[in-house]
Amino acid sequence: MSHHLFLLSPSDTPIYGLTHYSTKLPQPTSSSLSSNLPTWSTSAFAGTLTALSGASSATQSHHVQGGSVRMGGGQDRHVIQMIANASLDVIEDVMRKESAMYLKSVDKFNEWTVSAFITPGNMKFILLHETKNDDGIRSFFHDVWELYLKTMLNPFHTAHSPIRSTVFDTRVRASAKKYL
Amino acid sequence: MNSYAFAALAHIQILVLPVGPIPRAAFEKYAAEIRTFDSIRLGDIPTGMKDERARFMPSPLSSGYLYLSYPSHPAPPRHISLSLFRPSHFTLGIIGVAACSSSYSLASALEQFENTVLDISPEGSTFPLAKVCFAFEDEESVGSTGLGHALPGIVSIPSVMGNKKLYIGTLLADLCSHILAELGRVYHVLESPVGNEYLNSALFPTLPSPSEIPLSLSFGNLGYPSYSSQPELDSSSLAMPGIQIKRSSTAGPGVSHTASLIQRPSTLGPPGVRKRASAVGAVSSHGRLYKVLGDFFLLAGRTEDASLWYAEAIVLFKTGQDPVWHASVLEGMATVFVLDAWSAGQGLQSSVSNSGVKEPWADIYEQLTQAIALYHKAPVSSELSQDHSLLALTYCTAVMRQTSLLFCTWSTKGWGALAFASMLQPGSTSYMQKTTSDSSWTNLERISTVSGVSRSQIANTVSQAHGPWLLHLGSHERLTILQSMASIYSSLGYRRKEAFILREVISCIMDLIVCGREENDLLRKSDVGSAGMGNRSENGDEVSIVGKGAVGVRRNEVLEGNQSILKLLVRACKVLGIDLEAVCVAKATDDTSSEVGGEDNNGSAVEDLDGSADAAKESFGWPELQVGVIREAIAVAEALPAPDPLAVARISLSALRTMHSVLASTDQYHLYQTAGRALAAMRRRGDAPAVEYWAGNPIASLVLLPLALHRLPIENPCSILTAKSSATNSLLSGIIDPFLYNPRKSSGPQSKNLIVQGEPIELTITLRNPYVFDLEIQSISLSTTGVEFESSPISALVIPPNTLYPITIIGTAKTRGTLVFRGCIVQAPWGAPREFLLPVPTDADQNLFARRRSAVKCESGRTKYWGLDSRPWEKDGRRLSTLLPSLKKPPQFLQCVVVPEQPLLRIRWTSLTHGAVMLYNGEESTIRLTLENISALPIDFLRLSFEDSTIGPAQEALSEGELSVFETYETEYDLLHRKAFSWRNEREITNILPNQKVVLSVTCVGKVGCAHGTVHISYSQVSREHEEQMPASEVFYTRQLSYPVTVTVYHMLECHDLSLMPMVDVDYDDISLRASNSVIHLLPEVDDPAEWCLFAIDVRNTYGLPFEVTFEREQAETESAAVSSTVPPGSMSRIMLPVRKFRLPDNHISQPIPTLSDRQFVVGKSKLSIEEEQAQRELFWYREELLKIVSARWKETNGDRHGDLSLRQQRLTLPMLKALRTDVVQMDLTLIVDSPDGSPQELDYSGGKYIASPNEMLYLRVEVVNPSLSPLVMTLDLIFDPAEQVLSEGVSSNIAVGKLKPGETKAVEVPLCFLCTGRFEIGVEARIMGALKDSRVGTSRICISVREDG
Repeated sequence: MSHHLFLLSPSDTPIYGLTHYSTKLPQPTSSSLSSNLPTWSTSAFAGTLTALSGASSATQSHHVQGGSVRMGGGQDRHVIQMIANASLDVIEDVMRKESAMYLKSVDKFNEWTVSAFITPGNMKFILLHETKNDDGIRSFFHDVWELYLKTMLNPFHTAHSPIRSTVFDTRVRASAKKYL
Repeated sequence: MNSYAFAALAHIQILVLPVGPIPRAAFEKYAAEIRTFDSIRLGDIPTGMKDERARFMPSPLSSGYLYLSYPSHPAPPRHISLSLFRPSHFTLGIIGVAACSSSYSLASALEQFENTVLDISPEGSTFPLAKVCFAFEDEESVGSTGLGHALPGIVSIPSVMGNKKLYIGTLLADLCSHILAELGRVYHVLESPVGNEYLNSALFPTLPSPSEIPLSLSFGNLGYPSYSSQPELDSSSLAMPGIQIKRSSTAGPGVSHTASLIQRPSTLGPPGVRKRASAVGAVSSHGRLYKVLGDFFLLAGRTEDASLWYAEAIVLFKTGQDPVWHASVLEGMATVFVLDAWSAGQGLQSSVSNSGVKEPWADIYEQLTQAIALYHKAPVSSELSQDHSLLALTYCTAVMRQTSLLFCTWSTKGWGALAFASMLQPGSTSYMQKTTSDSSWTNLERISTVSGVSRSQIANTVSQAHGPWLLHLGSHERLTILQSMASIYSSLGYRRKEAFILREVISCIMDLIVCGREENDLLRKSDVGSAGMGNRSENGDEVSIVGKGAVGVRRNEVLEGNQSILKLLVRACKVLGIDLEAVCVAKATDDTSSEVGGEDNNGSAVEDLDGSADAAKESFGWPELQVGVIREAIAVAEALPAPDPLAVARISLSALRTMHSVLASTDQYHLYQTAGRALAAMRRRGDAPAVEYWAGNPIASLVLLPLALHRLPIENPCSILTAKSSATNSLLSGIIDPFLYNPRKSSGPQSKNLIVQGEPIELTITLRNPYVFDLEIQSISLSTTGVEFESSPISALVIPPNTLYPITIIGTAKTRGTLVFRGCIVQAPWGAPREFLLPVPTDADQNLFARRRSAVKCESGRTKYWGLDSRPWEKDGRRLSTLLPSLKKPPQFLQCVVVPEQPLLRIRWTSLTHGAVMLYNGEESTIRLTLENISALPIDFLRLSFEDSTIGPAQEALSEGELSVFETYETEYDLLHRKAFSWRNEREITNILPNQKVVLSVTCVGKVGCAHGTVHISYSQVSREHEEQMPASEVFYTRQLSYPVTVTVYHMLECHDLSLMPMVDVDYDDISLRASNSVIHLLPEVDDPAEWCLFAIDVRNTYGLPFEVTFEREQAETESAAVSSTVPPGSMSRIMLPVRKFRLPDNHISQPIPTLSDRQFVVGKSKLSIEEEQAQRELFWYREELLKIVSARWKETNGDRHGDLSLRQQRLTLPMLKALRTDVVQMDLTLIVDSPDGSPQELDYSGGKYIASPNEMLYLRVEVVNPSLSPLVMTLDLIFDPAEQVLSEGVSSNIAVGKLKPGETKAVEVPLCFLCTGRFEIGVEARIMGALKDSRVGTSRICISVREDG
């Protein structure tokens, strides 16, 4: 089971991204609808389509027996970014109406649930997850926020520059391990 | 979005087909006429049938409606399994439209119609249930096809018929009546036990083949017609248990056992199915049957019956055995609810009151949610992928139905009649587009508030449809689903989600295209039906599905599809922050395109300049995603059926242009190569260059290289032609500007660039390549206005990556006037040329730029606009335009004045080697320059001016103004009278004819401190006869030839220690020792020591050669005299020269020290008192006079080099002045002794002193002469030294002399006696009566040696 975290600047540019593979088992969300998919071998566009519709991950989970880590690289990564980007629509919509920083399960797409955290500086933390883990995600977001604030204390760091600090990275990873 | 209308379950689909040779326009017209009937009142349906076909006929007075929809194509054959599950999915009726004429008879039309219907209806399908062909008569063929009515199945509509519409309505009602009848027959078959077995045989069962139907029909009569029970049901309350039981018991009797038992083995199709069917067996419930019954009633517009039967079905499905059918029942019930609400609210425009706590649609929503969950969880027992596909389709349809419920409610601002209308007939209401056309957040949010449906709710609902199961769907269904999802997202204002789905839509289409290309032949045979899909347009998004068959054949290239796909791409990319249309398509393709481009891009090119300045602009978007999308876009554009190299090139170039900062180098290479390939393809196809110049602003700067100095024309006012050269002023006041800040200076006309007509000039263009690849440029030319300018365009340049690359363009101005360089016209390979303007920023502009830059920088860390509002093109428009005023003035461009042709001189020869002169200080030498006129024009104006390295420092010192008056004079004198270079134009050379040579002699004087100098020769052709018509201009132009000279001046003789002493004091013995010999013979001419003084100076030779130094005296009233001496190297000699004393008149010395320049604003800085100033002036004037009298020259002892020795460094001191100046009053002292004979006689005088004896009575005789022009009254003071040894009679001070008239002489005698031997001095001083104590007007002195023997 994997989590994908993105820190997006107000201009929708990611300044940090993390993919975290949790050791917890994903709940088998079996839907007969997504099983037994046809094999695609025709063209490059079919690949795009497969990936975008989420079918590749479904087939992957079908083949890989539960417990082993699912790989989310290549085209999948692109799709996950697309989903994170697309969820901004809903997030922006909701954040205009609600003042809450933590938007729990604000959007769902394919198998992914999107939770978001909006800092007062209009930074958006977006987490793609598959299972419900409300408290864990909330704590995780608060940890990341604190770490982010510490990074922003650096006077040479602007809101738009990517975070390349290794300290930040390791701490976020540790927090992810703890809560997710 | 017809297929996803909420109430699609209640729609009777009727396909309208063209039959025979009918023009497209005519068909469209007739079809549109038919399609206007979207509902038919139940009362209008003819009911005449009495058998089982009457079951679904409306009761005579019922008030409901039949809802019709007209799909553009029938359901694909693979959906046939759904035929019982969802009859509304299929076209129940077919209408053929034929145009009959004399050449095309009704019979042939009918035949063709039948064939077409056979073609499109899949084999073994129940549907269509009814068909009819409308034959519209042409105008001219009236009557010829009159027998139309004789043929069954075809109705001819004569052209003369007035109200066709009414007739068509009737015909449609007829058709519906047929359909309803057929529905009754189908149900009759199902009703039978065999039918029920079939119904329960599979997840999606099919009806027995049509061949069986008549057979079962014969037994159908035996079944109890449920129609008869209807009135009874209507009257009773719903869901009465008794009825249920009755239904279960009466409707399912296996009456036709025998017949069906006979038929079963032969008709049940594949054995597997049969086995399964038997497994379900006879015990299968009647749930499905009731559901079908409900469906049919729904189609027939009888909602009460439908809901009744649905309710019964639900009861039977409660056990959970059949989730899919259960879910379908729920869907049907939801539809019934809406239909009821619609008919209840029909006619009322007011919305149904929703005062309840729960939204009125919440129940329906719940039902549909339940249905969706059931579909989602439904186990697919079958291994057939067919079932997967159909189940996925049903699932997606259910989701879309739920979405449509919310969306219709939302878009029509709440639960009401409008919402029902749009749910029933989405096409008929344009209201939705109107409300959602304004996609601002406030508007959308207002709609949400009004309607009570939030947008995220809709989005969440619709996103359920998206999932891996989309792959199960057939390509067309998938496309339709995605497309409707995209349009819903778009209407909701969820642009990013729309972009996501649009990408899928595109890849779906592209997949079809690619597959179609590969399986071209195969598909052409089998897919004739679907080839007619053609172009469909949906609301807002123009999605065109290019028919598969048309792809490979390419009979005609239809570009609409391509354009639509590209539009989709652009739309999707815009959301991600990529402007795929950043590179414009060139408009005009003729040769004036550069001109047009220049005018049009006036603003944009300048803005580009700004843009490049704002390097600090923050980026928008997700770089990884952007790169991915761009790659995909290019792949799409390349794979389009009719290859569109223009689009490929445009996309890749736009990406390069806008995103080169985030693109990796390999991507940049790739994009550039792709664009190059595409452009090459265009070239092969012979298209005109179509892409505008793309690579940002390639011109970094445009600089006019200054002309070589000897070619540069210089503007001069004509006044200097007449005036005499006033070099003094220019030399002295050259850099004097008394103001620290002179506004006139800066605001004055900027120095103009002067270029000469007909002579080549060079311009340097600096090109910029921000990319990592070699940027190729096909051609660059200058864009000029004004005077005609001829330059060679530069072609085929390659700019190395990431560099600034200067190139030089040489051109010639043809006529005189003003030439403006606006910028450059750049053309990329196979692109359209584009003009880039390069304005020269004025101060105000730069100020503005700086402010703008700082404003951008200030904002760069802040985010006022976020999300999609912060996309560059959205943000800039709002931010910078409001923040700062735009440039008001038109931009200034590089401007040149083209002056008329000028002659050209060159220095042919000079007398110097290596341009170097070596001089001794004060030596004079001559430089000869030979000039040659190498132009065809004569020169009639020639001026020389000079500069040397001493002028600058001197001028600087002068302008600083820190010098005292005296030093200022010295410096100025030096500048004016001792110039290092000078030209005496003895021969008055002014005219130099073409190819003539002249020789100029320039005098060069060695001046210490001069290291280099320059001779400037200005020349021109002033009088031009052939240009008489030109107005006399204020200015004329000269050219200047400069000849630099390196000067080395040896400072070999130094003068020191000037002294002037009164001759009286001179010890002659001493002189003979120290002075050079030559002075000795001069001494005798000194007649009266009091009248003379001795000028002495040390001359030191610091050089390695001996020099002979000569000092000359030229003084009035005396003979000239000269003293010369050879000064050996390294040694010093003292030169002495007697100088006669003189006195300058008072009015002369009282003049202030003059300034040689006409400078004004000279502020006297000296803090000197009047007396001190007086003394200074006196010193000054006497020194001037002395320097006039005494001059010094030197000569090389062993050579003939000679020169002047300057004495101007020497200063005069006050004692020297006293020695030099004669007194006002001349006094003469004599000592007189009484001779033994009694007569007075002068004492012995030798060696400059009197010789006297002690204790002898002497007389001191003081003679006072007044040589001045005014009478003087004075007193005398006598001073004896030593005074103790001198006895004198009377007072020794303030001896009154009395008044002396001019020229008068008076004598005073004082007796005295020396008391001892020794050396005595007697001095006398004359004073003006009443004047100050120290103001002597005359002194005199004598020395006396008193000896015993004297």
